[in-house]
Amino acid sequence: MATVAIHLLPDDVVLQGRPGEPILDTLRRSGYSHRFGCRRGGCGVCRIDLVEGTTHDNAVVADTVLTPADRAAGVRLSCRAVPDGDVTLRVREDDRLHCVSPILARYVARRSLT
Amino acid sequence: MAIMRLGYVHARVTDLEASRSHYSDTLGMEVKAEGDGKLYLKGWDEYDHHSVVLEEGGVGAVKFGFKVSHAADLEQYERALQQFGVTVERMSKGDNLATGDGVRFISPTNHVFELYHEMEYAGTETGILNPQTFPRHLRGVGVPRLDHTLITGDDVEGMERLFTECFDWHISERVIASPEEPTCLASFLSAGHKAHDLAVLKGPDSKLHHFAFILDDWNAVLRAGDLFAMDDVPVDIGPTRHGITRGTTIYFFDPSGNRNEVFAGSYTSCHDFPTITWTADQLGRAVFYHARELNDRFLSVFT
Repeated sequence: MATVAIHLLPDDVVLQGRPGEPILDTLRRSGYSHRFGCRRGGCGVCRIDLVEGTTHDNAVVADTVLTPADRAAGVRLSCRAVPDGDVTLRVREDDRLHCVSPILARYVARRSLT
Repeated sequence: MAIMRLGYVHARVTDLEASRSHYSDTLGMEVKAEGDGKLYLKGWDEYDHHSVVLEEGGVGAVKFGFKVSHAADLEQYERALQQFGVTVERMSKGDNLATGDGVRFISPTNHVFELYHEMEYAGTETGILNPQTFPRHLRGVGVPRLDHTLITGDDVEGMERLFTECFDWHISERVIASPEEPTCLASFLSAGHKAHDLAVLKGPDSKLHHFAFILDDWNAVLRAGDLFAMDDVPVDIGPTRHGITRGTTIYFFDPSGNRNEVFAGSYTSCHDFPTITWTADQLGRAVFYHARELNDRFLSVFT
């Protein structure tokens, strides 16, 4: 199965995303998390910034939640954004990537770039 | 003269077909009408035409409908609202599908509320002559009826004044910052004998926290949780119990991220009961009685 590399800044963690898998699902499957809310694109809490690569949403996200200006500035919702290929994303300053389950992080998908 | 209940919630959804699956297949509501980008649904134990309206485009609440007991109530409530000083207008029969004329007002929290007296009678499968206790072939959770809603806004005290002064509701419970700093952070407003028909949480104006469906008991809440697992419904919290209202609960999200609740238990409230007060230092227990701590979503995720 072809996977994509999801490179998360500033912690420099790389996770392996499955085809069609939203970024938040990859994180959770891999033992990681960041701030999220409804998981269905309605609350806008799981904002994350796209630095490199492209994504598409796996369902409609309302313009009131993510404005065209937000999108143009690279803002994505991790619960809806699916990487088109390898991507680099930056977790926001008021948010953080955290390891919820070290055993999953160790056995599922983690490798550091450094 | 009385407001009897929350009659309908009209919400926005990003995907009508995904919403149909959630509200009809998972929750088990019946689609009574559709068209013009909207779905109209009702629970099995509701006699009126619909209790949930879903409109494609966006997320969050469009408006809330409260049904009054007598046609003459509308005029009296209209006057009371005008005196209170909020924006009030008349709505006509046909403005809302299957719904009579009524009064529309904008609340101090900038939500749209409608009061109405008539809605087309749909009846129930069990009927009203020597009925069985429930329909045999319910789908999914099989929610019987819409119960209450929680909205957010800055002027919680303004909402308390409006609903007690204009509609003679009572306040069953409220959360204050502390006895020394009695700012109201949340208020649970009752039209009659429930712990809440409408609750208001201090937060951004115009937003929806959740709307809730009543279930029979704790076992039904647990069974709903199993069905949410089967249907990959994102759960916010639960199954658990609230200190406030004492209700048992699961909070979950619809496919557009609007929060729903299944709720059971609680208590009978009366107009002469004193208001129960919670202080912010006990908010964990007040909201999630078992865990006694908040999660990071419950008081910050709205649509």
